[in-house]
Amino acid sequence: MSLFELSSSVIFGQLLVGLINGSFYALLSLGLAVIFGMLRVINFAHGAQYMLGAFVAWLVLRYAGIGYFPSLVIAPLVVGLAGSFIERKFLARVYALNHLYGLLLTLGIALICEGAMQYKYGSAGLPYSTPPVLSGAIDIGFMIVPIYRGWVVVASLVICIATWFLVERTKFGSYLRASTESPVLVQAFGVNVPRLMTLTYALGAGLAALAGVMAAPVYQVSPLMGQNIIIVVFAVVVVGGMGSIAGAIITGYGLGILEGLSKVVYPEASNIVVFALMALVLLLRPSGIFGRDEGLAGAAAGVDTQDSGYVLSPRMTRYLGMAGLLVLVLVPYIIYPTFAMKVLCFALFACAVNLLLGFTGLLSFGHAAFFGGASYITAYSLKVLGLTPEIGLLVGTLGAAALGLLFGFLAIRRQGIYFAMVTLALAQMFYFFCLQTPFTGGEDGLQAVPRGKLFGWIDLAETTTLYYFAAIVFVLGYISIRRIVHSPFGNILKAIRENERRAISLGYRTERYKLAVFVISAAIAGLAGGLKAIIFQFATLNDVTWQMSGEPILMTLLGGIGTLFGPVVGAILILSVENYLADSGFPVSVVMGLLFVLIVMVFRRGAVGELLVYAKRWRGWLDQRGAGRMLQRQQGLSVPPDPVS
Amino acid sequence: MTHDPLLRVENLEAWYGESKILHGVSIDVPRGETVALLGRNGAGKSTTLKAVMGIIRQRSGSIVLGGAPIESIPLHHVMRRGLGYVPEERGIFASLTVAENLVLPPRIAKSDVTLQDIYKLFPNLAERGSSLGTTLSGGEQQMLAIARMLLTGVNCLLLDEPTEGLAPVIVRRIGEVLRFLKTKGMTVLLVEQNFSFAQKVADRFFVMEHGKIIDKFSAADLSDRIPKLSNVLGL
Repeated sequence: MSLFELSSSVIFGQLLVGLINGSFYALLSLGLAVIFGMLRVINFAHGAQYMLGAFVAWLVLRYAGIGYFPSLVIAPLVVGLAGSFIERKFLARVYALNHLYGLLLTLGIALICEGAMQYKYGSAGLPYSTPPVLSGAIDIGFMIVPIYRGWVVVASLVICIATWFLVERTKFGSYLRASTESPVLVQAFGVNVPRLMTLTYALGAGLAALAGVMAAPVYQVSPLMGQNIIIVVFAVVVVGGMGSIAGAIITGYGLGILEGLSKVVYPEASNIVVFALMALVLLLRPSGIFGRDEGLAGAAAGVDTQDSGYVLSPRMTRYLGMAGLLVLVLVPYIIYPTFAMKVLCFALFACAVNLLLGFTGLLSFGHAAFFGGASYITAYSLKVLGLTPEIGLLVGTLGAAALGLLFGFLAIRRQGIYFAMVTLALAQMFYFFCLQTPFTGGEDGLQAVPRGKLFGWIDLAETTTLYYFAAIVFVLGYISIRRIVHSPFGNILKAIRENERRAISLGYRTERYKLAVFVISAAIAGLAGGLKAIIFQFATLNDVTWQMSGEPILMTLLGGIGTLFGPVVGAILILSVENYLADSGFPVSVVMGLLFVLIVMVFRRGAVGELLVYAKRWRGWLDQRGAGRMLQRQQGLSVPPDPVS
Repeated sequence: MTHDPLLRVENLEAWYGESKILHGVSIDVPRGETVALLGRNGAGKSTTLKAVMGIIRQRSGSIVLGGAPIESIPLHHVMRRGLGYVPEERGIFASLTVAENLVLPPRIAKSDVTLQDIYKLFPNLAERGSSLGTTLSGGEQQMLAIARMLLTGVNCLLLDEPTEGLAPVIVRRIGEVLRFLKTKGMTVLLVEQNFSFAQKVADRFFVMEHGKIIDKFSAADLSDRIPKLSNVLGL
């Protein structure tokens, strides 16, 4: 009997924790859904806006003595105003582009905000005390409830219902709903749609800030408080479906409670349960519990790829290839080999991401799972199982491929930005798995991994030998990607990228091609990760974080999406910047965020992409000049050009 | 032509991406009259309406409404100047109720047509006010799309194929509505493929082909033009 009483109080306690978390999930997914409905942008900055809300409350209390209740108004206003500026100056300029750019742009903004706040205030949480009126606890018969927690649940419920009412029952809401269907038509009917979009984004950002203020006394105020919650909220949004406001609210509370209850039953799973449910929903009802089936709607305009069919001559390709190999051979005599090897790992990693993003049009935000996962497997094989490095690398690659098969099987059920969110959530689930399983060494990771002897007789302990081993692995990976891109299979991938619907109507089962390329990409990312474990002799949690998934995306963007060599250039540039910044103490994530914003706004072709445009113009000019001479030389030979980008 | 057209379109050109669709279209719509724009599929009729309205932004030429140029103002100001658009696909919003659809566009002036008039003209709209917009039949949706613009107080309507895909009895109802509007002084630019419908309601006709106006005449000259028209329109 007493056992039952104990467990019931535990259950109610966790139920309340779940309700609190659910309140924040609901408020945040509500804002995301409102913004997405109107702007078609997945607001990655939502977590940062939540964090900024909490910080505004903390700052006005500290420097102006303004307390909790005024902050509930001030913080949403400040963050909403900042949001409307961001919408006007940045987001409004990428609406016509693929929706992925909106995601990447807001990711950049999030990185800037969080990096800057971390630089200023550190990572440790700052305390924010509960307002006196709401302190204490009340006994409601079967349990004792802290008043503030009760207040959070009630207040967030009221805000959710008010927002629902605003969207579903008011004139303003009818504008929003109509614009979700056809913004152009609504504007033609005399409604100022651009202003409506600004207001909507400000409203969403304001809701996030409001949630942040309410969260300040519950959790602590910290620059990274928004980062972890936003990924859970993405999973919530995938589960509920973006279709309805009510759906976002119900799913938010529901998953919060589910998470709370799982702490009673099986605490280890509580971090994972939301993501696991997401996987289940994707299997059974891909459009989400409350979502309408949008079919391929998410896969609208293509990414701004530079794979424009521009081809270098076969001779040029041979020259460039040989020059590249020569550089690879000479590098250890010119620069620090460890840095060169790091570049090779990340270049291969970025090439794997580009195979998906640039040549198939799929933005995977979960490739850290394959990179870091393979890194663990290879490290484990070498250290614990005592395998030779080439076998360890193979096992790591195969492990990443298997994981890729699992992720891909779930993720290809959704298109466009949903695909990105699903891969992100799955990778986050994997992160929590790695955090808890004994195999990875938890927080410590696997340290002091022996490099071993290649094929049992070439000792990799010597740096130059190691470098050439890494260079050979990189070249093999690069060549296989190049081969895939130029194969008939690669052409079908490009067809999917350009227009998936049309590829389907031509009779291709596009989901099989997408799954196949996803697995290949995961395997190559794994190869890169395994290589990294051998080179640096450790595997840690850092390699499976979501930030690690962002790195190769940024490298690909910077180098040029859909160019074969672009990711390599991107990796060199990004790692050089990181290397340089490491000594200066300037926050790296701010620079990365700025780069994301800059690239999306003005530099979508990337470095190699820009070069190709010039090369194309130059050749066009040469062709014009040489046209006469060419006629004289007519050989009647038609060599199919070997496309190289 | 009268000296005071309410809507004057001059040398309008429009593009979809690289391809040029309109090659210098000029149309005058006199105040209070109904002007029909005839032509086959793909002649550029709907594109003309969209370019006049500003839904297609890639365009050049001059569009003057009530004496003021409107070609460089933002899209949402065009309607506020008095130009009401009834699109071909009707533009009824599925997530809005019939009543919400009806009052969605802002009122810009006191309308000669009241909600009572609307409900008298279209009794079904009153009965189904709380059901979602796209649950209406095609004919009811067309009525709703027209009624929605009448309530705003615009003085010129751009009607894109209002009879398309509708039963003859509904087409007759729409004809009655257009004649009622004429008594209220409404100016109408009507795009139609259904010639027998257009000839009953229009005062003037413009004929389009390949993105150009190839003929224009008034209702009085209609009978002379029938042979030539049957050739162009494939009657």
